[in-house]
Amino acid sequence: MNSNQDALWYKDAIIYQVHVRTFHDSNGDGIGDFPGLEQKLDYLQELGVSAIWLMPFFPSPLRDDGYDISDYDTVHPSYGTLEDFRKVLDSAHQRGIRVIIEMVLNHTSDQHLWFQESRSSQSNPRRDWYVWSDTDIRYKDARIIFIDTETSNWAWDPTSKSFYWHRFFSHQPDLNYDNPAVREHMWDVMRFWLEMGVDGFRLDAIPYLVEREATNCENLPETHIIIKDLRRRLDQHFPGRMLLAEANQWPADLRPYFGDADEFHMAFHFPLMPRMFMGLKLEDRKPITEILQQTPEIPPSCQWSLFLRNHDELTLEMVTDMERDYMYDMYAQNKTMRLNLGIRRRLAPLLNNDRRRIELMNAMLMSLPGTPIIYYGDEIGMGDNISLGDRNGVRTPMQWTGGWNAGFSTAEPERLYAPIIHDPVYGYPAVNVVSQRESEHSLFHWMRRLIAVRKSSAVFGRGSMEFLYPANHRILAYLRRLGSETILIVNNLSSAAQAVELDLERYKGNVLIEMFGNNLFPRVRDLPYLLTLGPYQAYWFRLRRV
Amino acid sequence: MEDGNFLTDDFLRQLIDVGEADILVGLPTHNNAESIGPIVRTIRDGILRSFPRERAVIINADGGSRDGTRELITGLSISDMHPSSSVHALRTLHAISTKYANTPQSGIALRTILAAADLLRAKACIVISPESGNISPDWISSLIRPIYFEGFDLVSPTYRRHKFDGLLATNLLYPMVRALYGARIREAYMSEFGFSGRLGSQFLGQNQWNDGSVENGTELRMTLAAVTGKYRICQTFLGNKDPVERRAANLVPALRQSVGVLFSALETDYDKWSTISGSADVPTNGNAPDLLLDPLRVNRKRLREMFVSGVSQLESVFQAILSPSTLAELKGIASLGEERFRYPAELWVRTVYEFAAAYRKSVINRDHIIQALAPLFRGRVYTFIVENRSGSANDIANNIEGLCLEFERLKPYLVEMWKSKE
Amino acid sequence: MREMIISELSQAVHDLARGFAHYLPRLIVMLVIAFAGWLVAYVIKVILRSILRLFKFDRLAENAGASQLLSKAALPSATEMLSRFVFWLTWLGFLLLGVSVLGILGLQEQTARFFLFLPRLFAAVLILFFGLIAAGFSARAALLAAVNANIPSPRLLSLAVRSIIMVFVLSVVFEELGLAEQTMLVAFGIAFGALMLGLAIAFGFGGRDLARRFLEEKFVRVKKEQDEDELSPL
Repeated sequence: MNSNQDALWYKDAIIYQVHVRTFHDSNGDGIGDFPGLEQKLDYLQELGVSAIWLMPFFPSPLRDDGYDISDYDTVHPSYGTLEDFRKVLDSAHQRGIRVIIEMVLNHTSDQHLWFQESRSSQSNPRRDWYVWSDTDIRYKDARIIFIDTETSNWAWDPTSKSFYWHRFFSHQPDLNYDNPAVREHMWDVMRFWLEMGVDGFRLDAIPYLVEREATNCENLPETHIIIKDLRRRLDQHFPGRMLLAEANQWPADLRPYFGDADEFHMAFHFPLMPRMFMGLKLEDRKPITEILQQTPEIPPSCQWSLFLRNHDELTLEMVTDMERDYMYDMYAQNKTMRLNLGIRRRLAPLLNNDRRRIELMNAMLMSLPGTPIIYYGDEIGMGDNISLGDRNGVRTPMQWTGGWNAGFSTAEPERLYAPIIHDPVYGYPAVNVVSQRESEHSLFHWMRRLIAVRKSSAVFGRGSMEFLYPANHRILAYLRRLGSETILIVNNLSSAAQAVELDLERYKGNVLIEMFGNNLFPRVRDLPYLLTLGPYQAYWFRLRRV
Repeated sequence: MEDGNFLTDDFLRQLIDVGEADILVGLPTHNNAESIGPIVRTIRDGILRSFPRERAVIINADGGSRDGTRELITGLSISDMHPSSSVHALRTLHAISTKYANTPQSGIALRTILAAADLLRAKACIVISPESGNISPDWISSLIRPIYFEGFDLVSPTYRRHKFDGLLATNLLYPMVRALYGARIREAYMSEFGFSGRLGSQFLGQNQWNDGSVENGTELRMTLAAVTGKYRICQTFLGNKDPVERRAANLVPALRQSVGVLFSALETDYDKWSTISGSADVPTNGNAPDLLLDPLRVNRKRLREMFVSGVSQLESVFQAILSPSTLAELKGIASLGEERFRYPAELWVRTVYEFAAAYRKSVINRDHIIQALAPLFRGRVYTFIVENRSGSANDIANNIEGLCLEFERLKPYLVEMWKSKE
Repeated sequence: MREMIISELSQAVHDLARGFAHYLPRLIVMLVIAFAGWLVAYVIKVILRSILRLFKFDRLAENAGASQLLSKAALPSATEMLSRFVFWLTWLGFLLLGVSVLGILGLQEQTARFFLFLPRLFAAVLILFFGLIAAGFSARAALLAAVNANIPSPRLLSLAVRSIIMVFVLSVVFEELGLAEQTMLVAFGIAFGALMLGLAIAFGFGGRDLARRFLEEKFVRVKKEQDEDELSPL
């Protein structure tokens, strides 16, 4: 790994989100593992991504897909050994791919040794590691997050005859961050992985670390102090490593998590994502421009993280009721698709497998200001399986080939951790890596091209953002600038061909170079610049003064 | 689509930017800066409340305002170009404006709105008068819902009015349209109404826009076109009719743009209305329009005097228009004193029909025929006021119904006059 | 002596007969032309009458108010009048043509002048006709406007309008016919000027209130009487 300008590598990164379990099975037990992942690193290198974000692989009873951790110091045996993981790290680094892992600080599994000890008696030394109470009325202003399954943030523990605090599932008791021992130990945990070579952490459920009475127990100042402390230690001992915040909040409430460049390096821009889908359905750019207008400035070294879909439901927490109803009616008519104020579908099914729309959404993802994250399988347009409960419908095995178990595993199909998608449209015979590699115009190759063009200029990751407001509201157009380089992005959100006149007066005399074909487009003159776009088309132009 | 030629280039560009619309609100204006702001806000509220997901556009056809009316309207559009924290809308709401002429002409304003609706392929459209100060957001829903969801083509308004308000409508337009065209449309001359894209495009194409007489009163023509074209028509109750003083002005212009238009339409529609007999109700939403009964001070004496003076001074003109017997009866009434003065329904119907026949034959200049009707109408108004001075709303409704039936009964008389000397 | 008288007489008779024989063909031609002219004029009259009836010329004349004028003068209808006029004109033309054949010098000159005069005559008739129509139309328009605006003495006003226009039309007609041109023009000028002056004085003194009311209605939106509500017709 080259060490120059490493410090801001995350601004130029293209991140690939994947769960080891879903990717590739090397030992035939039906569950993906680290050696399997290592075998597929070439594929990722071919795709062009520069970092992978691994979902939790720690030992866990797997009642929340690994976010209920029962041991922070090793990996789940189903996925291999710690040594296997080290090999993955090294192989990835050799290919120029960084590795970001999960770190769940807020809570552990109730199977974790700490909790077992904590609950055993009131006098146990680890008693204070969790949040206990004799009543369940404390912190009553805190909302319930998993509204479909939980009715309270307190759970009754029969062993110690008291309530424990859990913001998520009842089997995930919250750690007590008012306890300095907890804070110290969690840093030790992080340091362990950092020393191994991990390049960054996605800190899950970070707003909920600390609770206080008469507050909603989210985003409290005490939480930020803890984060600042973590960051300070990180910068001191492991410069160039990255912290990514998972905080499903409004942009204004997210801003504090960047601090003065002394907290998180990156944070997910949750509110933007549903609005991209909304703008597409409305054929109106208004939802997208408005949320970005309301997004505050962040310190220069910080970066937003953008995504279209992830392992969770497409969350509709950060929209108004009217907008949520619209999204439900447009994207999830079938009520079983709805979960926890969200929609649990993959990208391709959400867009009705419309290739043009898929391309447009990915083009926007790659050109809006921030670091893009690709959810595994979306690069080939994988489908989902709604009949699998909770959010497991979007976590099915990766489809490598059209053959046995889609090339995911040599095991018997019944032994797979989840069934492979096999419907006629999204099933593995139709959607798989091998056949897409062979087809010149496949989505896979298109994504490769898109990523390559994105990487060809630092403007995308590091440049400024300025909206153009053409009178045609179906066109989303903006300028990205870095130094002397300027790129014009024009997106047609409509299903019909459109004409648009752009005010490029400041760039009079510039010639436009379309970035995918490298063909010249007419020079900008006095009159507004007329462009015509096909349905759902995106143009990326480099502006050059010849 | 050839009507696009008469729209300005600038307006066409704005229409291209709008692209396509589901709902279109047409607003003809001329120097309405005082009142137009709240009206447009109410329209906006109505759209956001009832049709938040639909693509909506407000089209302002302006007749040369100099007081900033156009800017007031376009400034209320909802878009990301001037974001407002007070309005929460799912999508962009366009408000665009065009100046169709330097002086206001309602026919051209309507044509502009129809052309825009046609180009934008709007499904449901409404026209709102800039003088409707009492508009409420429900109007949008009331006028559009029947078109958008129930497939109607024309939504005609009904109002709660004072019993003596709009007597030209109750004593002439409503009964005559009912008798001749067979449709019981209370407000055939509409200042606000809804229409489907289908009806709008068809009317735009078929109507003779270059005929100079079709300047004002085109809305009435549209109603008649909907009836003769067998479009689905319904009525919806909007509330109180806004008592704007200015509307109380001259009777003669009102006659021109309502009765004049009706008479000239009779000519082209002869084949359709001559064969209809009786009349049918039109589906109506909302309450039946009731009447406000508060007492009104009206100068009745002047009405009668103008009738009397009209009958005597215009005798030479009436000789050319009316039949000798009708004229004799009118002269007889004119000579009666105040207490015994009465312009009975049957005579009024005959008068109107003879006027219609005379108009058709152009016995004298047509505009003069319309003007000559004014003093006679005043006499009729006098009788109507006297007869309904203290009646209940029911009584008045019955009286009007009686008048309608009289119009229907004497229809053959008009047909006969029409056919003679063909 | 007797032979001389007889030979003179027979010479005279002979001369007379010769002279007669010389003029007789021309006389016969003249009579023939006159007769033919009568026929042609009659045919034209009948055709014209039918055409006029077809186009309902009478109605037009009624509009112009010409019919009223004619009936007051106990003359037949406009169609009839026009047809007869054309008949006489045509026959006169033929007669004159016939006479010119006779070769009587002075008459030829007059004939030519007559034919030159014809176009102006037609023009004058046309101007009179359309002038009558315009006068009638304006008179009626003024009448209706006055009645509807509740102006007193609408008929007087209507008559005034008609008179003014008629005077103007007549003066133009006379000028066209070349009859007493200057006199007519001057007379018209004086009459018109006097009329206008009279109206101005009358309007100024007597019509003050009317003028004020008119201006108020146009430029000031004020309720006419405090204790009256306005009705709106639509």
